[in-house]
Amino acid sequence: MSRRAGFLAALAAAAALLAVYPSVASGYGVRAGLQLFMWIALAGSWNIISGLTGYVSFGHVAFFGAGAYAAGILVVKSGWPWLPASLAGGVAACLLALVIGYPCLRLKGPYFAIAMLGLNEVVRALVSYFEGLTGGGNGLSLPTLDAAIPVYYVMGLTAAAVVALTYFVITSRFGLRLMTIREDEVAAEAMGIDTARHKLYAFLLSAVGPGIAGGLAARDQGYIEPVSVFPLATTITMIVMVLFGGKGTVWGPVLGAVVLFVFQELVWARFIYLHQLFFGAIIIAVVLLMPRGVLGLLQIRYRLPRTI
Amino acid sequence: MSPALEVEGLHTHFGGVSAVDGVSLVLEPGRIYGLIGPNGSGKTTLFNCITGVERRDAGRVAFNGQRIDGLKPWQIARKGIGRTFQVIRVFPELSALENLLVVTRGSRVAARERALELLTFVRLEGLRDEYAGNLSYGQQKLVEFVRVLMRDPSLILLDEPAAGVNRTLLQDLLDAVRRLRDRGKTILLVEHDMKVVMGLCETVFVLDHGEKIAEGPPGTIQTDERVIEAYFGR
Repeated sequence: MSRRAGFLAALAAAAALLAVYPSVASGYGVRAGLQLFMWIALAGSWNIISGLTGYVSFGHVAFFGAGAYAAGILVVKSGWPWLPASLAGGVAACLLALVIGYPCLRLKGPYFAIAMLGLNEVVRALVSYFEGLTGGGNGLSLPTLDAAIPVYYVMGLTAAAVVALTYFVITSRFGLRLMTIREDEVAAEAMGIDTARHKLYAFLLSAVGPGIAGGLAARDQGYIEPVSVFPLATTITMIVMVLFGGKGTVWGPVLGAVVLFVFQELVWARFIYLHQLFFGAIIIAVVLLMPRGVLGLLQIRYRLPRTI
Repeated sequence: MSPALEVEGLHTHFGGVSAVDGVSLVLEPGRIYGLIGPNGSGKTTLFNCITGVERRDAGRVAFNGQRIDGLKPWQIARKGIGRTFQVIRVFPELSALENLLVVTRGSRVAARERALELLTFVRLEGLRDEYAGNLSYGQQKLVEFVRVLMRDPSLILLDEPAAGVNRTLLQDLLDAVRRLRDRGKTILLVEHDMKVVMGLCETVFVLDHGEKIAEGPPGTIQTDERVIEAYFGR
């Protein structure tokens, strides 16, 4: 118990530090923090569907993009403030997940992964097509507003909410049932688990975070276009972060996001091309040497509880 | 009282091969039935058709007088049919205890208590936090067996429960099956170990090439000409 108390104290200290950070940080520092939170929210959300049920989503950035456009349109066309617009982005992503999850989650293994990849392209094409609403390929410019610091806080809360959600899911029997889908879907069904419904719930939960993060990112960047909010690279980065930190764990996505983001920021500045090489090398190393990621490896080797 | 399970004219084929070819059988409640037959005779496919894992092409299946063919596997499981698999299907990266907990709803404490009770019964309480995938073959088999019992099904289909389980545990397992029967459960088991079948089952069905070729008490079955022919050839 004292260990748990110590952990909670450390967590509270980290939260306090992050809360006062914007008052001492530079503009760049605040933006970097905000982006780190965004990556935690994205990686953590991908982990809920793919880390737990084993259904690898290769189009998860679609929810980010859908959230960004939903929020952007509400701000530009309806004059909504950015905060409710971003939350509406989460709702929009959730609705998108509902529409596509129902047919797509019937597909198994690589077929689901490919369907999700295709989905992202379809959503991007739709956004480009409906120019009247979205600005098409010209993009959508949000009214100028310096909101970096408030967006930093809301993005931080979003990341924290995703981690908390993951914690509650993983430590619940609902979470165990999601894992049975990953472990053996046929056996899960034979045990009376309605796998279709469980997958859909997990999918919906995994879409909300990216939707809100997309809305916040739209506000932060002030300008969105199809290529900037639907890039495949974003999905790949989420996946690598989770695989590195440990899929199916609570803190793995956080660890992966922090390590890879910091690494990327440090190397990116100096070696623009080499940084992609490093990234590729990390992917290969993780897959070959520790397919369960850092925390997954520790969890299995030292029989750590599911709460890590 | 309607039979526990009624299979009528069940037929399913894969390509040109009839895996199950017009099988009919009736299971009365509170009895232990055996299902035997040479390899590839359709025993597991029959299990899969009953539990909704495999589609059927014709015929009907009724559980306690209610049709269940066409239902999803999880719906059939919730109606009260539990099954184990020939090839072990525990959830390898869930602990032994978690393997049992997944199906429970309602009170966590009660669920945990029942799961521990069942693990103790198969002498695995000391391994409850071990990943199921790290257990021995026989131990995994036992986890799968008690996992089925978590839902307290009234009909239990066991696919080769004795294979790979050591002698001492096997006796416990067979006793457990008898006790389940005494509590009114119906059991249908596929088994290759004839000693187990003869000692346990009241009625035996014999499948060959997807057809039921014999049915009766174990003693009679052993001397049935068609059965001997199916196993040893003419």
